[in-house]
Amino acid sequence: MEQREADGAEARLCRLMAGYLEGRIDAFDALYDTLAPRIRSYLLGHCRDAALADDLVQDTFVQLHRSRRTYEPGRPVTPWVFAIARHVLLMHRRRTGRRLRFERALAADVRVAASRDEMAILAARDGVRRALKEVPADQRRALLLHHVEGWSFAEIAGHLGIRVNAAKTRAFRGMRKLKDAVTR
Amino acid sequence: MPSPADLRSAIARDLRPARPLLPPSIRALMLVPIALATIVAVPATHFFRPDFAELGVVRAWGLSLAESLGGLVIVALALRESIPGRALPARVLALAFAGGLALPFVMLVLTTNRFTIGAPPGSEWSDAVICFRTSVVAAVPALIGSTVLVARAFPLRPGLAGALYGLGCGVMGDAGLRLFCDFSVPTHVIPAHGGAIVAATVGGAIAAAIIPRA
Repeated sequence: MEQREADGAEARLCRLMAGYLEGRIDAFDALYDTLAPRIRSYLLGHCRDAALADDLVQDTFVQLHRSRRTYEPGRPVTPWVFAIARHVLLMHRRRTGRRLRFERALAADVRVAASRDEMAILAARDGVRRALKEVPADQRRALLLHHVEGWSFAEIAGHLGIRVNAAKTRAFRGMRKLKDAVTR
Repeated sequence: MPSPADLRSAIARDLRPARPLLPPSIRALMLVPIALATIVAVPATHFFRPDFAELGVVRAWGLSLAESLGGLVIVALALRESIPGRALPARVLALAFAGGLALPFVMLVLTTNRFTIGAPPGSEWSDAVICFRTSVVAAVPALIGSTVLVARAFPLRPGLAGALYGLGCGVMGDAGLRLFCDFSVPTHVIPAHGGAIVAATVGGAIAAAIIPRA
């Protein structure tokens, strides 16, 4: 009884497929209505993601349309359609796998580059700190207040009780000595 | 990704009557003229093997036709493999590959009873190169025809389908080569004749994998 129903359903699919090959959109609609839920259920069972399964169903029908000439009239439609669906799923997995591998490799590169940058920054910071010790205290103070804290020369002059030009000179000389010490 | 409505309208725009492909065995028959031409062309463009007259019609032309028919059967299997849902089982694939590789050697055994005929000393390498090149070139027309036939279908395992029809075409090329070369020593037959068939197999796999499908 069940076998007879299955044969009847397959025969109906064969007729619909023949109509689709003749260029009838109503045959495509009926094929879609009959097959899409089954294909979705098959794909969902493999990918466990409803949105992805919906996308893959659409992809399957695009491929099915492109390769509809390869259907041999009279042969069962279901194995033909499910072979295409399986192919779409495998292609998706291959693409995803490739993308994941690329992203992992990229993330690893970024991590290595970032750790290299951090090392360089630490080394440079340490070098600057040591070089600063070689700069005379009055020049170092003016230099740090202007270049690090962002004070104006007028503010530095007011704070240290010196003239503005003197503050500029101290900061300039301090910077020159710092450069010499760093590059040495 | 199109929604069902978008998909439907895209398909409705593109929908035209489509003529289904002929069955694989019928499509393989389209290669018969190429197969026959290959058998005749190889000895005709070079020379017939020295013992051609002694072989007689059946062992010369008959076995070449049989070998070529074997190649056509393998191509037909590749065409069937290129139809979604009609993939060949692993056992059939193994049989096809083993049979295809064994066929030229079976023909050799049926043709000669002593496996000592080889190239004169000093020309083994150059004679092997000539046989290899001739066999590969002889397989090329069938290889092109098969690639077109397979590309018009939708092989889901293109590399496998390509290797299979490449093997079939290599066997067809060998069917012509055996009327030109009478060497039977394994040191010539395996690398030169067998190597050409393997090269055609690899060529088919590469061609099917890189050529866009229908």
